[in-house]
Amino acid sequence: MIRTSMIRTLVIRLMMIRALSVLFVFAQASPGSPDRSPEAAQHLQAAVEAERRQDFENAIAEFRKVTGLEPADPTDFVRLGNAYMENHQYGEALPALKKALELNPTLQKAEQLLGYALLAQGYAGEAIPHLEKVGQVGALGIAQIQTGQASAAVSNLQAALAKTPDDLDLLFYLSQASEMLAQQSLDALTAADPNSSRSHQVRAHSYYLSHQFPEAEKEYEQALMLRPDVPGLHLELGEVYAASSQWAKADEEFLAETRLQPGNGEAAYRLGDARLQEGEPAEALKELERSDLLRPDMSETLYSLGKAAALVGDATAAQRALTRVIALERESPLAAQAHYTLARLYRQQGKRQEAEREMQQFHRLQDNPRRQ
Amino acid sequence: MATEAIWKSARSANGTRRHALAIMTPAHRKRVRTAIRVAALYLCAATVCLSAPSSAPVFRLTLPKGLDFTLQNSPTSLKYLIETMPGGVALLDYNNDGLLDIFLVNGGRISAGRPTNFDRQDPRYWNRLYRQNRDGTFTDVTKEAGLGNAGDENYGMGVAVGDYDNDGYPDIYVTNFGKNILYHNNGDGTFTDVTAKAGVSAGGWSASAGFFDYDNDGKLDLFVTRYLDWDMKRNKTCGAAVRQYCPPGEFPPVSSILYHNRGDGTFEDVSAKSGIVEKKGHGLGVAFADYDGDGFADIFVANDVVEQFLFHNNGDGTFTEQGLDAGVALTADGKQLSGMGVVFQDYDNDGRPDIVVTELPHQPQTVFHNEGHGMFSDQSLHTGLGILSGTTSGWGVGLEDFDNDGWKDLFIVQGHVMDNVEKLDSALHYLEPPLLALNHNGRFEPADVGSTTPIAGRGAAFGDLNNDGWIDVIATTLGGRPKVFVNNGGKLHWLTITLRGTHSNRDGFGARLQVNGQTRFATAAGSYLSSNDKRLHFGLGSAETAKIEVVWPSGIHQTVNNIHCDQFIEIREPDKP
Repeated sequence: MIRTSMIRTLVIRLMMIRALSVLFVFAQASPGSPDRSPEAAQHLQAAVEAERRQDFENAIAEFRKVTGLEPADPTDFVRLGNAYMENHQYGEALPALKKALELNPTLQKAEQLLGYALLAQGYAGEAIPHLEKVGQVGALGIAQIQTGQASAAVSNLQAALAKTPDDLDLLFYLSQASEMLAQQSLDALTAADPNSSRSHQVRAHSYYLSHQFPEAEKEYEQALMLRPDVPGLHLELGEVYAASSQWAKADEEFLAETRLQPGNGEAAYRLGDARLQEGEPAEALKELERSDLLRPDMSETLYSLGKAAALVGDATAAQRALTRVIALERESPLAAQAHYTLARLYRQQGKRQEAEREMQQFHRLQDNPRRQ
Repeated sequence: MATEAIWKSARSANGTRRHALAIMTPAHRKRVRTAIRVAALYLCAATVCLSAPSSAPVFRLTLPKGLDFTLQNSPTSLKYLIETMPGGVALLDYNNDGLLDIFLVNGGRISAGRPTNFDRQDPRYWNRLYRQNRDGTFTDVTKEAGLGNAGDENYGMGVAVGDYDNDGYPDIYVTNFGKNILYHNNGDGTFTDVTAKAGVSAGGWSASAGFFDYDNDGKLDLFVTRYLDWDMKRNKTCGAAVRQYCPPGEFPPVSSILYHNRGDGTFEDVSAKSGIVEKKGHGLGVAFADYDGDGFADIFVANDVVEQFLFHNNGDGTFTEQGLDAGVALTADGKQLSGMGVVFQDYDNDGRPDIVVTELPHQPQTVFHNEGHGMFSDQSLHTGLGILSGTTSGWGVGLEDFDNDGWKDLFIVQGHVMDNVEKLDSALHYLEPPLLALNHNGRFEPADVGSTTPIAGRGAAFGDLNNDGWIDVIATTLGGRPKVFVNNGGKLHWLTITLRGTHSNRDGFGARLQVNGQTRFATAAGSYLSSNDKRLHFGLGSAETAKIEVVWPSGIHQTVNNIHCDQFIEIREPDKP
């Protein structure tokens, strides 16, 4: 569940983005309008000035006087509501904004601010119609996460991100919505037939993620008993065995997966890595080379390939693979490992300068906090 | 042909296992073939060529009568780090009656009210010396030997054994969190605490220690590893939902200590002038061997989650730490090891000492193969340890020929550091059975250790407890009785050698022995917090005679031919030519 405080933070940020335009719109309404009483115009002028100074306490006080003097003007209630929201008083903003819409149901700004205020207060269901009316897809998506409308939330957040692709908050909420959507699909799957192969697979994966490996093994085995030909099942079971260092069993599963899916580069990589762990570098090398062909430039594959090649004495292949890892990874921990392995390789070959160079790079990356 | 012995398990194209020629680097293959040819020459020169299959070693787990020790580590909810680290065990013949005796180091009581008083005057918390009787039972001789109270402020850790004054009786050095103690063996069944006179109390948190002669002056020096700059008041716990012992990185590292034996019953702390003090780590294990063949014993320190140290002996009283250059500081992936125990012996019979470091899970126990020219390579996966040890935690370790087939096998005592680790990861366990892996031409294959009972294993010492020619094991367990794994033996032959140094130190520590193509480096040090039987044991396979070559620390070379198998012999260092 997303915490209300997080939504408030986002609402504040969205409001800051839109504050200038809102102020600009309000500034167009001159306090000296011929329809206003001089007293109301004076308070309005004071309110606008306070708002410009970001003195929202006084702005609120002045706007309240204006709406008290002239309670039929919906824009004054919008201004009051806006000032409350600027002052983070979302609950207090609600009556003013609702009053504005009561007076003029077509006021877009009132709809927008009311949607934000309701969302900030945790009334996501009530916020949604207001946000829909004004097309605020980002906030709408967030509200829909709260109401469990994962599919719609994903769609709206993607639409919002199309306009601002680097928005970290929206990316965060999209990940939440996607996760929720996935969970809802899995729940539906399990509800449809809790004893199906897929249901066992879902439970197995969940156990795997929580490091409950024996339970994961059992569920995968049941899934495989029901549908032994489902792609990916052997791979996943192999990963469970690998996580608990049962390499012979992992090998069997990865091998089964490569037979089922000869074109799956991941399965070939996993099989190769298992064989490396089993101390069979020549066999590992075959699978890792095959994986590299199927799925080129995967750093992990290349690193394992480099290790396997070094172990079978093919220094040229090892250097080529490890150098490629460094080119792909640059500053990552895997790049550091590749530098170290290269350094050892060069040292064994008596290439002291090259070894020293690689070791320096290794130390540099080890000392570099960014790689953490 | 002996070279056929190099066949090993491999896979066919369809993934099924088959036997094929071992897949090794050309250099490695050449080395192994050369070693096997050499071995074959020696063996064929003997009465019977090596042809019989190696016998399966079968231990039986026993608790010999009279061995009533319980390792009191006193775990608390405050998770004081020392609780999970003891304790050591030594196999020594303190009274020279030809039977191995057992010395066990105890922890102490930990109470919240008096965290710096470990109640070591209470007999429950004494270290214990058990004398072996002729019938294989043991008698507790702690009190009469004068080894009882180890000091209330000392929480026990490990033990080292060596005859530092060359009087023919093994002396005992006990490491503690607190001050260490040197007990001089008076030769009459009693010991005297000579720590103050000797000047070897160290202080802080000491772990493994070992006697060796770094300057080849014929007197055993002493190396003491230290773990952390830590005390009871500065302890802290880690973990949120589950309270855990903190990793060592939470506390500052410390340097090890090297004491030079002056020969007058006193030692000089030469840590600074030897260069040892320059490297601070989290030392737990220590082992000695001359890895580069320059005639001077080098030092390997197993460090917990920092780089491992290999102190190269420069031969002039100084050492240079060479771990990174030599390739033993980190794993093959450039990652730090949680180094616990260590053994520094030759596992692949190429004549050069290799290094096995035990460590915590998610890395295999590490084998650094000595490639020559001062270089090592991480062969953990190649030797099969990747399959054997990915989720286990290793402590005490021995490379001994348990099945007497001429290849040193691996025995590792296991058990996770954290007594609640299952709450964090169901693949890990606080209690684990020991690992026995037989060496088949340089590759380790799992074997039946004789017990599946999981234990919180820590220290381990290796030796022939019952003098039957087959190596036995004693392991310590936190909060429990020691576990004695008695080797049931078999039909293959063996030879056990006691060195008697005359110019060199009396125990011959540091000597290099070659017997029928196998190599051992004389030492009692290694494993974790423990001290092994100083006698040098060789499995001879089917060979009935042996050729022995000794290179003494004094530099004297000695060859003894046609020694009959299945006996205990003493080799006395000859006069210098």
